[in-house]
Amino acid sequence: MGAPLARVPAGVQYVFGAEARLRRAVERRVLEVFGGWSYEEVLLPTFDYAELFEGGLGQGRARTYRFTDHQGELLALRPELTTLVARTVATRLEDEPLPLRLAYSGEVFRFDPPRRGRHAEFHQVGLEHLGTDRLEADLEVLLVCAEALRALGVEGARLVLGHVGFLGGIVDALDLPRDAREDLRERLDRRDPDAVAEALRGRADPERAAELARLTTLTGKADVLDAALALVKNPVSRAAALELHRVLATARAAGHDALEVDLGGVAGFDYYTGMTFQVFVPGLASALGGGGRYDRLMAQFGRDLPAVGFSLCLDWLADVVARAGGAARLAPAPAAEALAGDDLAALFRRAAALRAEGRRVRIDHAARGAAG
Amino acid sequence: MSRQVTIALPKGRLQDAALAVFARAGVTVSPEELDSRRLWVDDTSGRFRFVLVKPSDVPTYVEYGTADVGVCGGDVLAESGADVHAPVDLRVGRCRLVLAGRQGEGARLDARATARVATKYPRVATRWFHARGVPVEVVYLSGSVELAPVLGLADHIVDVVETGRTLVDNGLEVLETLERCSARLVVNRAAWQLEGPALRALVEALRLARPEEVVA
Repeated sequence: MGAPLARVPAGVQYVFGAEARLRRAVERRVLEVFGGWSYEEVLLPTFDYAELFEGGLGQGRARTYRFTDHQGELLALRPELTTLVARTVATRLEDEPLPLRLAYSGEVFRFDPPRRGRHAEFHQVGLEHLGTDRLEADLEVLLVCAEALRALGVEGARLVLGHVGFLGGIVDALDLPRDAREDLRERLDRRDPDAVAEALRGRADPERAAELARLTTLTGKADVLDAALALVKNPVSRAAALELHRVLATARAAGHDALEVDLGGVAGFDYYTGMTFQVFVPGLASALGGGGRYDRLMAQFGRDLPAVGFSLCLDWLADVVARAGGAARLAPAPAAEALAGDDLAALFRRAAALRAEGRRVRIDHAARGAAG
Repeated sequence: MSRQVTIALPKGRLQDAALAVFARAGVTVSPEELDSRRLWVDDTSGRFRFVLVKPSDVPTYVEYGTADVGVCGGDVLAESGADVHAPVDLRVGRCRLVLAGRQGEGARLDARATARVATKYPRVATRWFHARGVPVEVVYLSGSVELAPVLGLADHIVDVVETGRTLVDNGLEVLETLERCSARLVVNRAAWQLEGPALRALVEALRLARPEEVVA
């Protein structure tokens, strides 16, 4: 006997009613904000060659759904959209003036067991700013992200900044073998300074190891960066801390105080090269989204361009908006004019006239005469 | 003024030891509150709320953000695979995750082409065998794991031991220690960022309040 046809695979969802309406409204509002900053929407394919995505996802963090085409070529459903944008810009948009500002909205697919409301298929909205390594671009994407959240009425959001170069500089100076690097990364992610110090025992002088261990547990404002600069000597880490300092100072001067720094953050995607950030909002148990600078991804596709971008999980964004009571404002249940009558020609003429005025109509069959 | 911080505590073995560390860190619960049969109690300051849950559920409550922080054994954390921070070793509830087999049969993992291991810790056991390139068939049991080798259900077990007495009483011996465990403070990722000051203060206080490190 077969399984019941009613069953649904774990990790996919059907969205209807008010929830579907809200999700579309949130998507529109976010894309409007992106458009307001001149980010042009790009429509991307749902699948592409599997190897395309391999440079992007962190090791073992997320896997792709793979299948073959009729020639035996290995394809994958897109696990993220940045790589598709980057490749398109490298190969198809060579003549466009730089920087390019592109926005996207679409489902991504990750072969992970569903946890914490993270589905195997979920919807991302995001943008990419390609062709400049200037700090303005980093700041711009941060502020666009902040504006999108504000436009949706999301309160209390935090954009938490990190920098790949900060820990990278420290770890590179230690000259650790690959396994030890992974182990250190995992201990840093625990945020346990004792565990980090233990991993560095014998590899760095004890005092230094303890200081670094401490530092990686610090999250806060600019004072964290001052503490970092007082501690680290290697030029890569110092440059990273100084860069974040400038981002923070400029953002504050521009009126944005929601930025924080977390130097212990280990970036999620392997393609990040500079500033990274994660978005946290009250009521959500993990990051709503995030992004960062990826200056080396494009070179893989034959065009060496620096870039920065971010994405947000639309599913969760809609949940956050709904919980904050924003559904009624953003996606109110539309009122429709109910039409009924036995003269069908007259009924539809009337409906068409109302539609021409842009009104919403609903043909009410039940109220029509029994003859129908 | 930050909101109340919710702390998931494991009922049973670790509960009192964990509460003692929290008390030394200045987070105290009145005895009357504890004696009640309620599954949640507020601390005397009202800034913290403890929820009492099954030990193996602590990582889940914290990962899902239902609790901001929690206390769980290192064994439970390793098995859960929960995506959380674990900033403090509370240095109580020490135990070991060990591989054990029948006494006198030695450390032979290759008695069969595929080692057969009974355990409550399938994830930990699988990872350990895989790291050694030994094919393994993990038999999941939810209790009385020591019986499995005695009855021939499996050749080995992976289980948590404090003194090792239970193993000896059942004719088993420790072949290898997989991991030394103790109680950990675990923290939800979003809470770590959103409730930063309150949680960092708690983490610091617990770090100072925990027992001295035992030099092995």
